[in-house]
Formats: sequence, C-alpha cells, structure tokens
Amino acid sequence: MARFIVKRLLFMAATMLTVSILLFGLLEISPGSVATKVLGPYTSQEQRDLWLEAHGYFRPLHVRYLDWLGHLVQGEFGESIRFKVPVAEVLWPRLSNTAVLGGLVLVIMVPFSLALGVLAGMKEGSPLDRTISLFSIVTTSVPEFASSVILAALFVFYLGLLPGTSTMASGFSWREMVLPVLVLVLYDFGYVTRMTRASMVEVMTRPYIRTAVLKGLPHRRVIFRHALRNALIAPFTVIMLQINWLLSGVIVVEFFFAYKGFGSLLLEASLNQDLFLIEACTMVSVLVAVGTQTLADIGYVYLNPRIRFS
Amino acid sequence: MAKSKKYPYHPGVYQMMDDLRVGKIGRREFLRTATLLGVAAPVAYAMAGCEKKSETPSASRGGGTKKGGTLRVSMRCQEMTDPATFDWTEKSNVARQVLEYLTITGPDNITRPYLCERWEASDDLKTWTLQLRQGVKWNNGDEFNADDVVFNFTRWLDPKTGSSNQGLFSSMVTESGGKKKMTAGAVEKVDNNTVRLHLNRPELAVPENLYNYPAAIVHRRFEEEGGDLSKNPVGTGPFELKEYVVGQKAVLAKRDPKDYWGEEVYLDGIHNIDHGDEASAGLAALASGQVDLVYEASVEQLDVVEKIPGAQLYETVTAQTGVARMQMDKKPFTDPRVRTAVRICQDHRRLLELAYRGRGAPAEDHHVSEVHPEYAKMDVPKQDYERAKQLLNEAGYPNGIDLKIDCKKDPSWEVAVAQVLSEMCKPAGIRIKINVMPNTQYWEIWDKTPFGFTAWTHRPLGVMVLNLGYRSGVPWNESHHNNPEFDKLLDQASATLDVAERRKTMAKLQKMLQDDAVIAQPLWRSIFTASSDKVRDFKLHPTNYHQLNKVWLG
Repeated sequence: MARFIVKRLLFMAATMLTVSILLFGLLEISPGSVATKVLGPYTSQEQRDLWLEAHGYFRPLHVRYLDWLGHLVQGEFGESIRFKVPVAEVLWPRLSNTAVLGGLVLVIMVPFSLALGVLAGMKEGSPLDRTISLFSIVTTSVPEFASSVILAALFVFYLGLLPGTSTMASGFSWREMVLPVLVLVLYDFGYVTRMTRASMVEVMTRPYIRTAVLKGLPHRRVIFRHALRNALIAPFTVIMLQINWLLSGVIVVEFFFAYKGFGSLLLEASLNQDLFLIEACTMVSVLVAVGTQTLADIGYVYLNPRIRFS
Repeated sequence: MAKSKKYPYHPGVYQMMDDLRVGKIGRREFLRTATLLGVAAPVAYAMAGCEKKSETPSASRGGGTKKGGTLRVSMRCQEMTDPATFDWTEKSNVARQVLEYLTITGPDNITRPYLCERWEASDDLKTWTLQLRQGVKWNNGDEFNADDVVFNFTRWLDPKTGSSNQGLFSSMVTESGGKKKMTAGAVEKVDNNTVRLHLNRPELAVPENLYNYPAAIVHRRFEEEGGDLSKNPVGTGPFELKEYVVGQKAVLAKRDPKDYWGEEVYLDGIHNIDHGDEASAGLAALASGQVDLVYEASVEQLDVVEKIPGAQLYETVTAQTGVARMQMDKKPFTDPRVRTAVRICQDHRRLLELAYRGRGAPAEDHHVSEVHPEYAKMDVPKQDYERAKQLLNEAGYPNGIDLKIDCKKDPSWEVAVAQVLSEMCKPAGIRIKINVMPNTQYWEIWDKTPFGFTAWTHRPLGVMVLNLGYRSGVPWNESHHNNPEFDKLLDQASATLDVAERRKTMAKLQKMLQDDAVIAQPLWRSIFTASSDKVRDFKLHPTNYHQLNKVWLG
C-alpha cells in the first residue's frame, strides 16, 4: 500500500511539473509580451526593458524557469496586474470562498444523491426507480446558466423570497448561499444519483445477494450489510471527481450571482489578461485536479480489497 | 483683467442678455454661458428673468428630508490609484465622494463653482483667474490652498502622468521636440487662494473642463505620499474612504460635518458593491433589496425594471454615443471615398429604432449633439446606396470591399449597433465582419485598430468633444483625424463666447467632420438607471456621475 501511495504521489508531481513547463512556455517564454501585459500597452520600449532587466528576464531560459518554479512552489506568484496586490492576497480568500460553496454543495448533494441512487437501484424498473431517474435526468440536462436564470426569476423576481446576488458584502449570509448552492446541487446530484443507481442495480443482481435473500435474511439487512458496501465503491470515485468539477463548474454560478470565489476570479483574470494571477489559478486548479485524482485512486484501492490484494 | 465698475461681469454677459431678450439664444444657453463666465448661478437665473427653482423639487414629497442611513450602490469597484489617469466613470464615482473638483456641472448641464468660489476670464479668454474657496480642509487636517491647484495642473500636463487632461487643457501645452509639455508659466500662483491660468489660445470651456472626471483635486503631497488614492485617501469631500477592495467593495463613511466646508450631507455612508460584469446581477440585487441604487440599467433591462415592485426608473437624454471610427492613415481608410461609402450606408433613424429601441436621437456623423448649446442644426444624413457603390467603384473596389470592425462585448447595444450597421452596409457591397472582443481587450486596441466601434461619454459642450477626440495629435484622437483647417476653426470656436456666433463656426466644423467621414455615428442614446423607492433626490447625471451630497433615504 505504501509503495502504491508513493507511486501515485510521484506521478502527481510529474504531472504538475509537466503542466508548469507548458504554462511557462505559453505565458512567460516571450519577455516582451510579459512586460506589455504588466506595464500596459502604452508604455515605451525603454520602460519595458528596464522592468525586464530589474526582474531578471534577460537571464537564460532554464535559469528563469527554475527561478519561476521555485517561487511558485513557495506560493510567491508575483503581483496581480488588476488588483495591484500580491496574487496570494487575492487568491487564498477567493479559494476559501469557493471551498465554502463547494463544501456546502457536497454536504447536501452526496447524502441526498446516494440515498436516492440506492433507493432507485434497489428494485430496477419500479415506479420509485422510474420517478427518481426521470427527475435526475431532467435536472442534470438543464445547464447551470439556464437553471440560474430560471431560479433567479422565480425566487428573486417573482416570489421575492431570496437575495439575487451573493457578494456577502456585509458578512457571511446563509440566505445568499441558497441560490448558488441550489443551482449546483440540482445540476450535479442527478449525475451522482445515476451512477449510484447503476452500481446498486449491478450489485443487486450478484449471486451473493441472491444467496442472502434465499437464506432468509431480512430485506433491510441484505441491503445494509451486503449490497451497500459494494455498491458505494464506484460512486466514491465519481464523488471525488465532483470536487474537481466544482472548481471549474462554479465559474458560471459565481459569475451570475456575483459570488466572490475562485471561479469568478479565474474568469476575471483571463478577461483582464492578469498574467501572474492566471498562472496561479492554473497551478491551483491542476493541484486540485491531480490531488483529488490521487485521493480517489488511493481511496478506491482501500475500499476495494480485490484491487488491494491483486 | 481690470473690470470696469459699470460692468462687474464679463462684457459677453451683457451681450448675451441682449440676445436673450430678443430671443437669439435660449434661457438655458444663457445660463450655461453666463455661469461659464463667472456669474454665480443664482445671479444668472435672476438675470435671465426667472426665479431659481429649488434644486430639490422632490424633497417636498415626504415632507422634508431625513438624515441617516447607508446608501448601497451596485457598481464596479476598479483599481483607483491615480485620479488623473481615470478612464472609467465608476472609479471617479468612488473618488468623487472623497475628492472634489474646482467646479461642478449639475444634472441640468450647468456648471457652478465648487472648490473654486469664483472665476473670471479676461476679455480675450486667454487668462483665467480662479478664486479658491477659503476654509476648506483636507481630511488630514491641512488647509486647501493654491499650492494644491498648482500641483494638480502641473501633474495633469506632465506627459509622464499620462492624463487625458492634457488633451482637455491643450491650450496650456506647448510642443517641443515631439514632446508635449506644460507651457512655461501657464499656471501662476497669485496668492494663497488665487491661481491664474495663462492659455496659449482663447478657451471657453475651462470651467466645464475642470469637472471632467479625471480632474479631481488631490492633495499637494499626493505623489510624495505614495501616489495611491485607494491606500491614502486624502480628500476635501464630505465622505471618507473606509475600506476598498478591488473587485468587491468600496465603503465610505460620512466625515465629521464640522470639518467639511459644505452643507452637511444626509447619508451616513455609501457602500459600493461590485457585482462583476454580469449585467443582470445589479438588478437582481435591487429586486431583492440588497442594494438601493444601480450604476446603470441598459435599454434591454427596462422591462425588468418595470417589473420590480417599488423600483424607480430614471431616464435622461444625453450626448452619449458610439462611433464606428475609421483611422484615416490606415488602409483602406486612407481613401476618403471608402470612409464616405460606409458613412452614407446608414439610415440613422432606423438604426436607432433597431439597435436602441428608438430611445435617444439620430446622430449626424459629426459628434456634436442637439443637447450641446452651440449645435448648428443640420439634417440627418440620408442613406444613399447608389452613391456609396459609385464611390467604392471609383476607389478601386468595383466588387465591393471586405472590412472588419472591432467592437466590445458590453454593453450589448454596441454589438447591436455594429450588427445593424453591418447589415445596412451590405446592399452597397460593403461586407463588414464583426469582431466582438472582451471589454478589456478592446480598450487595449481602441486607439490602434483601423476600424472600431467606440463608446463616448457625454460632455457638456460640443467644443469639448471635438478638442478631445478630433484635434490633430491629441491622445484620444482615435480616428487619427488630421485636418489643420479643422484645428484652426476649432481654435476659433473655442474662443467664441457668443453662442450664435460660435454656432456659425460649429456649422463649418460639423460639416467638415462629416465630410472627412472619419466616423459613422448612428445615434445619441438615452441612459437609464434604477433605484428603490427609498432613495430620494437622486438625479441621473448625463455622464452617470454620482452627486450624492443631497441624496437621502426615506
């Protein structure tokens, strides 16, 4: 097991290194364009050269890359062009805001979709299964940009029940969280429900379940002791992937509800060509992506003895 | 500059009083120009033979005003380091509550004294004496004086600052060795409370220019103390900046009224909340009572505003516009026939109807609006496909021409105008491809692209716009318009006090700009905004300037 974990961690490091090289190649390889982005389009060549000299852009490429990487690893991303403060000062609060949003979504969505998935999968084709499946397919087919508008029209403009934006301008507010969380849960839960259902359906046809039923165990015990443990292995991986999806999936929702999170930050950074902020956001996204992937792999192995012992 | 005892005011004022009597000029024009020439607004009203109306007509609605409360505004909070280089009104709207200007132009388009208590112009309009208000205190305890004003002028006119004020005050700038510098001695400190401006050529719009949004007066040690307003918000205004987070919020609180020179303001504070680029977020916040006022509502959102219970809609006709401008030194626009062909493909009225729901006025391709006092009446140009085709043929494009126009994504009416324009040009064989760009990307190339659609804000006088955008070589001359004869006439117009007389020059200028065809200008647009019914005495300024000193919450 330890050997497996070390292998996964090494693989994770290699992925991040590759991405960092790509990122450096895309954004930093030409000093001229860096200086133009940082100093603005109206600066003179002389000003740009002075800035480049002062920031070591005339050193050989590999020295620059290693230096850049070193700073990146220490969390020194440079200064945001738009915000005029070190990137870390903007990035971490925004990331924690998104963590709050994503965390809430997971806390609500996971138990809800697992329960519904299991209920639907217990008896394939039953009226309950049909109802849950239909509902989850419909909600998952409506993209966030549409459901945001529909829900805002209903709850904000028509019913006047909920606040229309979630800037948290006067401190954290549960009411402001409702709509963004609702939109994300609606979109995402159907997917996890469907996966859980499929896994449950498959487990329910297994010989050991039939054996358990035939030997006269109560239905409840069959489900909880035998079916559930095996049926939840596949959804575990899917749920880990949702964390990764949430990081980028929140862009639309954060933008629409003016929630000050990582997604809207990434979008604003790209629109404003805020170079160092884009670099930081990219590396954070990649870290989360490979991090959750690694965790999913490790968790899967831990949960599934057949892989562990093979 | 000695004024005769018999005539305490500028001689032009008396000329205008005669004109007003015989109906040569309107009351509004009289008030505007009289106040421009240093007549205090109430006196000007009296001269015009009308009582000065209460500036707060709706105040009586609730039976008086009420102090207290925080006004919450949905508005972008962009970085606002240096007021001299402001390029967005939103930045100035945060700064406007902390800093003040030498003059103030009201929602009625009339300019009044502000930090400058009185101004006098010499007969030749080349020397302006600014009498500064005494007893004004900066919120760091310093006394406001002539040094502050001299410092600001010197900074604006220094090319290193990169301020658009340099174009506005071009009559105080000399060019030497390809570099524009402040004319030596252009700003003179007469005494502690008097500053005199010495201009190279006559200039009428000095008071108006002093309220242009990058002309907020900063403290004389602004640069020494870091040159960053958001970190060191020293100002003379009635509010103080308490918290500023770019992209999130700007929190302002009322300053101790004892320290503020003006009338006490009603609001305890102002919270500006940034809702990002999503156009509907501001109205959603208004609908759910999270804000009291939005920065603006677009023409597409009018229906939404009407559906929000208790929302008040504000509309004002402005000289805000958008121009499809063609750079006359870049191919194929070097050929005036190509530019003219594009221009005469427009059916202005129809364009206004299709792209802006008809709310505004059709424009005439010369960037002077009917709301400008010196506007010379012209006919709206007619659509003429035959002539357009003929011009293209003569220019060497018998099979039509392919063009690409850059335009920004927001607000959406700009794309709508570009689309209608493109459709209108098709029958003449002009195929315009529309390149819609994110706003920030567009603002990087707005003065570089050969063909672009640029939005221009309202300015109170026609000469101001022409000086800013169409005089040869000024920074904001995005069409690279270059016509020495135009410049000369513009000098003349800028020096003509008599409105009727100035209008004669303007007629020539308007015609000249139309004939040069550097812009195809479809429309003048109305602007809108919305607030909750709690907000009282807010007036929508034609430039979206937030003047909140008299606003109160019911």
